[in-house]
Amino acid sequence: MKSTSGEKVFYGVNYFILVLAALSCLLPIVHILALSLSGNEAITLGKVSLWPQDFTWTAYSKLIEDTNIVGAFRNSVVITLVGTGLNMAFTILAAYPLSRKHFYARRFLTLAIVFTMLFTAGLIPNYLLAKSLGLVGNYGALWLPGLVSVYNLLVLRSFFENIPEELEDAARIDGSGEWRIILQIVLPLSIPVIATIALFYGVAHWNSFFNVLIYINDPERFNLSVLVQNMIQSQSLMSELAMLDPDAFRKLAPESIRSAGIIVMILPMLLVYPFLQKYFVKGMLIGSVKG
Amino acid sequence: MGSLDIQAKKNSEKAERLRTNSALGKRRRWNMNKPLLIMFLPIAIFFILFKYVPMFGFVIAFKDYNFADGILGSPWVGFENYKYLFQNPDTLGIIRNTLVLSALTVFVGFPFPVILAILLNEVRRSWFKRWAQTLLYLPHFLNWVIVGGLVLMLFSIETGFVNTMLERLTGSTYPFLFKESSWITIFVASGIWKTAGWSAIIYLAALTSIDPSLYEAAGMDGAGKWKQILHITLPGLMPTIILMFILNIGNVMDVGFDQVYVLQNPVVVNVAEVISTWNFKVGLGSGQFSYATAMGLFESLIGLTLVLVVNGIARRSGRGLW
Repeated sequence: MKSTSGEKVFYGVNYFILVLAALSCLLPIVHILALSLSGNEAITLGKVSLWPQDFTWTAYSKLIEDTNIVGAFRNSVVITLVGTGLNMAFTILAAYPLSRKHFYARRFLTLAIVFTMLFTAGLIPNYLLAKSLGLVGNYGALWLPGLVSVYNLLVLRSFFENIPEELEDAARIDGSGEWRIILQIVLPLSIPVIATIALFYGVAHWNSFFNVLIYINDPERFNLSVLVQNMIQSQSLMSELAMLDPDAFRKLAPESIRSAGIIVMILPMLLVYPFLQKYFVKGMLIGSVKG
Repeated sequence: MGSLDIQAKKNSEKAERLRTNSALGKRRRWNMNKPLLIMFLPIAIFFILFKYVPMFGFVIAFKDYNFADGILGSPWVGFENYKYLFQNPDTLGIIRNTLVLSALTVFVGFPFPVILAILLNEVRRSWFKRWAQTLLYLPHFLNWVIVGGLVLMLFSIETGFVNTMLERLTGSTYPFLFKESSWITIFVASGIWKTAGWSAIIYLAALTSIDPSLYEAAGMDGAGKWKQILHITLPGLMPTIILMFILNIGNVMDVGFDQVYVLQNPVVVNVAEVISTWNFKVGLGSGQFSYATAMGLFESLIGLTLVLVVNGIARRSGRGLW
């Protein structure tokens, strides 16, 4: 089919807008990367746009030597791995019974759980609870209160519901108990959706900020989010760093070191991004089919 | 799904009921439930302990809480905390800010994912579509610390990219982050930047279910691209648009803490302090737990009411969530 001139204009405008929108997502990150690799003078004179000027790695070496970024990186990894593991175990344990048609009070329990999504207790009561359980100050406060996300639970439940019951009936006749049915039939059939949900949880833990801010007081135990946020907001932290090594900081702009912090936080995310995107889109669609 | 399927499902449910109603069935059902109950026990404990027990903590909204007496021992004060909250111009301002910022986020931000989805849907070259999607989804995976950092650096007066460009063009800089109106604009725009691409996924999925023969027929009748979008694409998206609107309205009281916290500064605090950041400062910062809890309860109740009301309206037109 030949396109008319009106259609040509339409497609031209369409591609133009999409290219602009896509570049607007990419260019700020490229700019930050360029800042993190540029010298002080070029930054102060405003010469850096998308390519590093007076190329230098100093920002990164200072970041590693003078701040606790390595420790914070390790903390982020621990928070993410342990947290995601716990989330997955308990979300599966919650989703499986709720997906069984013969489970007592299945409807009531589902409603009771969905209600916690609509009405939440708010900051202070949650904080007081965590405090009375002795969770404040350790990572338990990051892992336990969010052990099961209702949204992910509903996604997994509706996936389990669609596994043909005949498979389980057959296994049951062969003498398998529920645990074996879960481990040998249900889970192997649900690997894509389980990967999706694990990624949902993982990204949430890697990006967690508020919970670390309120529950963790020891700077040694901060994750990357809180450390980088402190570097961005606090002038005093920057001047402290500058006092440690005045020489290096004559050549290094505070912007560089902040940018370097941001890049350290983005990088692991970018490395797994192709993965993330594929599974996330799938998960988003499973979730939207049945809310 | 055919009516045959539905009929078969009904029959099997009937059989299941018959089986479970007999004495033998009851016993069998108990046996099948036992492992499930054991499995579910820790989950029930989790939801009761971490979701329902804190709801009782809301009583301190009606008390004068102090650490020594604890939640139960602190003296009752009735609605005194609310009297304070609703008579104090500062707290009223905070409630207003919360509503303004989130209403702007919902209403201004709402069309963007729809437009992006329609534009992406019209792309013929699949490599282009794939690349555009990859880039547009990216900001969703960056948390507010990163997005806030990008914004603060881009708009900073001394070395920010925007201001250096502005200085080169006009000879002067502008304190974008320190003027109330430009701060609000940046706040809303950064929210759109972070979420629009990702939210388009839902609409893209909805678009695939529109019958292509509708477009062919419209094309035969001489409808151009623009008319097709207006009369076929948009009506086809309407149920999804309404659904997403309900979900967003429910969150109106809940301006995310992170976004405000990383973007705000003392100069614009008159428009930039919202309930969540105020709760954090007043509650955890200065230990006025009762005020913060009272505000939190107010926030939760308004949120719940909004969801129920909007869903009720949507249900009247047959499009409710439940």
